[in-house]
Amino acid sequence: MSSTLFAAYAVFWGLTFAFVMSLWARQRRIQQELKRLSETFERNPPAND
Amino acid sequence: MRGSDNYLAQHLLTVGSGLVMLVALGMVFLYAPREAVMGDVQRIFYFHVASAWVGFFGFFVTFLAGVGYLLSGQRRWDVLALSSVEVGVTFITMTVVTGSLWAKPAWGTYWTWEPRLTISAVQLLIYVAYLMLRGSVEGREQRARFSSVYGIVAFVTVPLSWFAIRWWRTIHPDILTGGDQMAIAPRMIHTLLVSIGAFTLLYAALLSLRMKLEWTSDELIRMRLKLERRSRG
Amino acid sequence: MSFLRKLLAVINKDIAAEMHTREIISAMLVFSLLQLLIFSFALDLHAAIAETVAPGVLWATIVFAGTLGLNRSLAREQRNSCIDGLLLAPMSRSAIFFGKVAGNFLFMVLVEAALVPLFSALFGVALFRLSVLLVLGLGTLGYASVGTLMAAIAVNTRAREVMLPVLLFPLALPVLIGAVQATGGLVSGGSLVDVAAWVRVLVVYDLVITAVSLVTFGYVLEG
Repeated sequence: MSSTLFAAYAVFWGLTFAFVMSLWARQRRIQQELKRLSETFERNPPAND
Repeated sequence: MRGSDNYLAQHLLTVGSGLVMLVALGMVFLYAPREAVMGDVQRIFYFHVASAWVGFFGFFVTFLAGVGYLLSGQRRWDVLALSSVEVGVTFITMTVVTGSLWAKPAWGTYWTWEPRLTISAVQLLIYVAYLMLRGSVEGREQRARFSSVYGIVAFVTVPLSWFAIRWWRTIHPDILTGGDQMAIAPRMIHTLLVSIGAFTLLYAALLSLRMKLEWTSDELIRMRLKLERRSRG
Repeated sequence: MSFLRKLLAVINKDIAAEMHTREIISAMLVFSLLQLLIFSFALDLHAAIAETVAPGVLWATIVFAGTLGLNRSLAREQRNSCIDGLLLAPMSRSAIFFGKVAGNFLFMVLVEAALVPLFSALFGVALFRLSVLLVLGLGTLGYASVGTLMAAIAVNTRAREVMLPVLLFPLALPVLIGAVQATGGLVSGGSLVDVAAWVRVLVVYDLVITAVSLVTFGYVLEG
């Protein structure tokens, strides 16, 4: 098996993996922020509604 | 893509596309015959063509979603357009990089202005510009409108560029790419078709993950607005 | 008002503004001359290689100078909120689009009118022919058309000056290839028949891109 072939398939898997990881990291960051905000929301009852 | 039914579908799609990718990979290395002239390096071809095809398909989806957004003004079309570009750019990057890896043993140079490789590189530039445009426009509605227009006009120019590049190459015949012809065996065609199918499934899986991310980010924006409104009284 | 009258009104407005400030044409012209200077040194441009290189240099100059003019022309609308005025006027979006394209086309052609004799004199290539001028016109029309649409988008972004070339160049590729090849074929002694394929590329691009830009332009303005 040539090294070119190996490099090419490493590119396919590497890029797919990188994209999935970037999706996962962004998703996690947003969900953590969302959770934090909704906790803030629960803790502080509406002031002068 | 909201709700628990979709959650299951999402997982099935992700796992399924992974499995089919493994099948395709197995076929590339075990089922497809060794090509006579190029040798094992030719096995790049299957995933290379599949990623090129799916990348182009992704940009076509963005084109359709752009039309959908301009006609309806619904957020989901914009989410679809954006997500499809991100996945498409990932795939077309694979195409360009592996094409350049392929060019080295095949033609003795890492880059040649071979039409199919060139049009992939042009598409990569166009859709990187699309993503830059999105990053540079204020206001969600305006961003969606501008990027829809760009997605439509850009996609229309791709076939025009393709023909212009091809004719340009025939005028400057490329001796390097002359020996491009390979003997296609039936097993090669099977492998190629399964690879294209696998990449299409992978596209769908990544697309739905990316869209889910966008919807979650919308939820976050709504939550921020809610908090802001309340703190102002 | 008929469509033509409205169209002329938009063009007249652009010409009047340009007569007053002279900012677009002078900027494009000076920029073109500077590019010519840079290309001359960068490529060591002399008569012996001029025939092969001149068409590319000419079109690169036009393309780069064009972004300058397009940006200014649309930025002027945005700065003075002229677009809002135009939208309030009883005027169809297509009249505004064609008016702006015509204005930009006119400014670019004026700059080319100065470039062509200069090129002919400096590099000894015969550009003053009807066929070359036709190719110049077709190429410029397509470029002005897609350029006007892209500039209308770019002036509303945060990085406006940077955004226009990034958006426009990859879309203008067919024009550039077609125009350079057609000009090259004519300069090296061919006739229009010899470069018919490239002229066809330009005509098809002009038609397709003008149609698509026309349909989508309204969506860029709205909002």
